[in-house]
Amino acid sequence: MTHEQIMEKVQQIFREVFDDDSLVITDSTNSSDIEDWDSLEHIALVVSMEKEFDLKFDLKEVNELANVGEMVDLIASKL
Amino acid sequence: MNEYRYEDIRIGHKESFTVTLTEEMMASFKDITKDVNPLHNDEEYARSKGHRGRVAFGMLTASFLSTLAGVYLPGKRSLIHEVKIKFAKPVYIGDTLTVEGIVEEKNDTYSLLMVKVTIRNGDGDKVCRAKMQIGVDS
Repeated sequence: MTHEQIMEKVQQIFREVFDDDSLVITDSTNSSDIEDWDSLEHIALVVSMEKEFDLKFDLKEVNELANVGEMVDLIASKL
Repeated sequence: MNEYRYEDIRIGHKESFTVTLTEEMMASFKDITKDVNPLHNDEEYARSKGHRGRVAFGMLTASFLSTLAGVYLPGKRSLIHEVKIKFAKPVYIGDTLTVEGIVEEKNDTYSLLMVKVTIRNGDGDKVCRAKMQIGVDS
């Protein structure tokens, strides 16, 4: 799966978690760009991604992510 | 109080308890919330709306989800993250409710339990359905 293909699915997850169909994310999007992106929503994002891509994250690695691009790279490394 | 650890709990784990809704609970809830809506506080008004008596505050019924998580499933190590609830039927003073939770999913990364909750009255009718996401502290 390419970076773009993963990003497409990740964007859909973001739209569902934040209940916003117009939300557009990029590699540089981070928690300061989305008002509701707090620790609980971060958990919701990670749980949704684990389900969507059928993988498991390590708590330390998801806590160290700086932006969406790093999240997508982490997913790619596990597929 | 139960003291389950995340590893102790398997998908399908069930816990339940019963509670009878009393006049005193209604009065305490009204004192705390200042919800003076007549459906909950005025017998005549409630009957005029087709009820057999005052309707219990929905959020009072919902408050037993706190007990389910904090005392039973998982108990001491509980941290409620999220609750989605539907109020399917009215609850009346004197009703004995059975609150049951079953673990539908777990998330190992964050030690989370996804619990499906059903609250039934004494006739076995579902009065509330809920989904809870509960963290289990280590």
